[in-house]
Amino acid sequence: MKLLVALLLLTLAHPAFAHHVGAYTPRDNEVSANFKHLKFSIEARKFDVALRLYDEGALRKELRSRAAQLPAGLDGSIRAALQRGAAAEAERGLMVFVVSLARDLALEADRQISDAGAPADVRAAAGRKFLEAIWRYYNLVDFAVTQRNARAATTVRLAFDEAEGYVKAATPAPERLREPLRRIAHALTGVIETSSQSARRDSS
Amino acid sequence: MVRFKLELARWARGTMLARPQVHGLVGVRDVDEQIMDEALTRFDGGLRLFHMHAEGMGTIVILTTMVAATWAPTAGWRRALVALLTVGGAGYPLGYLVWAALIPYRGVEDGKRLAEWLVWIPFGGTTIIAMWLLVAVLVMQMARRS
Repeated sequence: MKLLVALLLLTLAHPAFAHHVGAYTPRDNEVSANFKHLKFSIEARKFDVALRLYDEGALRKELRSRAAQLPAGLDGSIRAALQRGAAAEAERGLMVFVVSLARDLALEADRQISDAGAPADVRAAAGRKFLEAIWRYYNLVDFAVTQRNARAATTVRLAFDEAEGYVKAATPAPERLREPLRRIAHALTGVIETSSQSARRDSS
Repeated sequence: MVRFKLELARWARGTMLARPQVHGLVGVRDVDEQIMDEALTRFDGGLRLFHMHAEGMGTIVILTTMVAATWAPTAGWRRALVALLTVGGAGYPLGYLVWAALIPYRGVEDGKRLAEWLVWIPFGGTTIIAMWLLVAVLVMQMARRS
């Protein structure tokens, strides 16, 4: 009996060695959730559903608020493609928008990290958060970008890996982060420009 | 907890927004909303874990103090074991409450570090030592009889 009690006490004592604090899984924001719903309805060729999701969703609201930084007529071209049931064209328009979100984040990260007045660990922490945000958006369209511009997709992935190395190292080097961030911004700007040009060619 | 969930979340959010540097907020919605979401999820998780551990450790305190009261060799041993098991078991869950309360002021990681040193390590350590002592007492008694 005492042996059993002793064994039971040992098993009770063991979990007390480690206190667990749960796990956190990043969630989609309104724009990325709306993008995924749109993508699935386009893939299922439910264009009426996709059009409703686009008209009423957070993605279009965000797209309109950033219209000045986006290729002219992007909103109209996505909507027209959804009305026509042109899946590839709708996907390209959505890709351009998401890529522009990632590009703007890369530019803003570069701007904030260049602030030499802030301590290195603070800049590294900010850089890590920016990289996570960039990847959350870019990951949504990585496949679409690779299909249309494999070189740009590879450039972004390599630059991203390099940037992550700088912020996750034992001694973070935020000043070295600027170069890969610029490469990401440059490659994504190229994707936006070439995709917009090809969209114009297709429509003319 | 459920009744005041919204108020607690509002308070935590407001306190965090008042301390952007503590939480590493950068002023960009796409970055900050994720930081806030993680901190609020951890805050809510801390309160839930406090609740869960308070219930679980209560059972452990009852069980282990019953064993100590039955098989402790002397009254001194009995008092010491019961005191250690009760203090350790009752104090340990408070670490989760302390962690949750510290998150809005100190951030997730710093809050965890403080809760570890203030509560989890002292009280959890007390419980572990008390359990090992209890096991040792039982083993010694078994050895003596055989």
